[in-house]
Amino acid sequence: MNRRRWLAAGCAQCATLYAGGVLAQRPVPDPLPVAPWRSPQRFVRPDLASDEGGLWALMDREEMRLRRSPFAIRDAALRDYIQGIACKLAAEHCPDVRVHAVRTPFFNASMAPNGMMQVWSGLLLRVENEAQLAAVLGHEIGHYLQRHTLDRLRDAKARSAFATFMAAFGVVGLVGQLATLASAFSFTRDQEREADSIGLDLMRDAGYDPRECSKVWDNLRAEAAAAPGADEASRSPMFATHPPSDERSQTLARLAAGASGGFVGEAEFAARLEPFRFGLLEDEIKRGQYDETLVLLARMLKRAPEQPDLLYVRGEALRLRGKDGDLDAALADLRRAGAIDKAPAQLYRSLGYIHQRLGQAEEARSAFSRYLELMPDAPDAGLIRTYLPEGKS
Amino acid sequence: MTSRARASALLLVLALAGCAVVSKVETGETLVRDRLSVQVASPWNRFERGQVDNTVTWTVEGLYVDALQFYVAIRDGELIAPTPSGRKDVQPLTFKASMRPADVVALYQSLLTRDGSSFTLDRIEATEFVASPGFRFEYSLVRKVDEVRLRGVAYGAVRNGELFLINYSAPRLAFFPKHVAQVEAIARSAKVKG
Repeated sequence: MNRRRWLAAGCAQCATLYAGGVLAQRPVPDPLPVAPWRSPQRFVRPDLASDEGGLWALMDREEMRLRRSPFAIRDAALRDYIQGIACKLAAEHCPDVRVHAVRTPFFNASMAPNGMMQVWSGLLLRVENEAQLAAVLGHEIGHYLQRHTLDRLRDAKARSAFATFMAAFGVVGLVGQLATLASAFSFTRDQEREADSIGLDLMRDAGYDPRECSKVWDNLRAEAAAAPGADEASRSPMFATHPPSDERSQTLARLAAGASGGFVGEAEFAARLEPFRFGLLEDEIKRGQYDETLVLLARMLKRAPEQPDLLYVRGEALRLRGKDGDLDAALADLRRAGAIDKAPAQLYRSLGYIHQRLGQAEEARSAFSRYLELMPDAPDAGLIRTYLPEGKS
Repeated sequence: MTSRARASALLLVLALAGCAVVSKVETGETLVRDRLSVQVASPWNRFERGQVDNTVTWTVEGLYVDALQFYVAIRDGELIAPTPSGRKDVQPLTFKASMRPADVVALYQSLLTRDGSSFTLDRIEATEFVASPGFRFEYSLVRKVDEVRLRGVAYGAVRNGELFLINYSAPRLAFFPKHVAQVEAIARSAKVKG
């Protein structure tokens, strides 16, 4: 088994992007008939000669690499905040769980058996409050406490000959191989359900409102429903082993039923994310998945309707998507953003492009001039200057 | 390149070895996809299909190290790259003839970042390309799969509703500076046939 495959096994993706089957309505199975769950004692580092010890050693090296990674978000305040949430959830396991925020614009979190957790920035942009972030972290800690990764590794080793065969002949291409790997190493649906259930318990014990948990999956489902070919997503082999989001959401809502409250932490979470939010929104736009992005932004604007950065990014997503009616809607958002204090300068560039498209030359020049006035050294300043008559830049 | 990056490159080369057809690009004039003529001062290796985007790709150092990609006569409504198999939930990367330079760059950055790689536009300016008003942009890319830092330069133009674009990217410290002058010369020599 090559190193990458071992790493894939060690970091089996669990809360991965838009878990498959998000649209089809399926019957919700009864919760697993398990005995009341009790947190295990802190784990002792396994013997290096064992398969688990080898996996831990690999994960340790991967964690060293992650600390130096250009994708790592190194902000101490954000790191301490997320680590603090993980500690509340993990309780006595707190010293063994280390959370790393990673700048990658997809909804994803993963947990390695040595306690290394990754949380991608697309997830941070999508959760609405501290309780929802705690729901995802709690789920990952659930995998850790139940040592699900070790089970998957042992299972995958038995099946590695198949994956090796596929890789050697290259018959399925890179994406196909990725799907093979994901199917080989992702957690089983029962493990995902178990982690969901444990995560909910941890949330409750830490004082969070467990009713926020199912909203994470509801929101993802709404985004996935907007994606092109959304009903096909459920057939992707990449997510074949994940419980459908609708099932997950319904089960979690049922498990949280009867809860009367708990800490939600919307303001706390928003304050911690604030320094990064515009950058994460720019990453989101770069994905070019405008249908999904617009659902996300509609949700964010519902909570904060007068945020100029959100209005700008929605205007830009509408402009770039360019369907019927999008330019008018984009103009409305951008003008609204422009009327609010601290609006991003880039909105004038977007306005310029829209006016240009609509043949409104004077309005376009005015908007581009304003953009250059505010951002004279922008990477695209040279191009934008060519849209202005000489001497007007 | 780190040992991790080398291992990734080796895996990729092995995976591609079964299906990639490589030929030598001789010096002098050469025609790409029957429509784009360029002058080449030194030999390159030519693959009919690139790593992920099904387009003609040239390389000096190896497909996974440096890549000169040619997007030739992409028409309105055509994809600049196929959607990954099994991912019908992903927005197709469709070129529209009405696209301005910034829109083409946005489309291209969506292609480059769909695996989680990080794209930063460093500069874009208007320039002539294929004897038409076009644009040239430079960018930085951190490849998600191995975290190698790349630099890239691309030339593009929309001519009679068709997109012509060439893009070169390579690791920023050694390979990009080594070959970028050749790439600039190739871009300046580009002409559309027919």
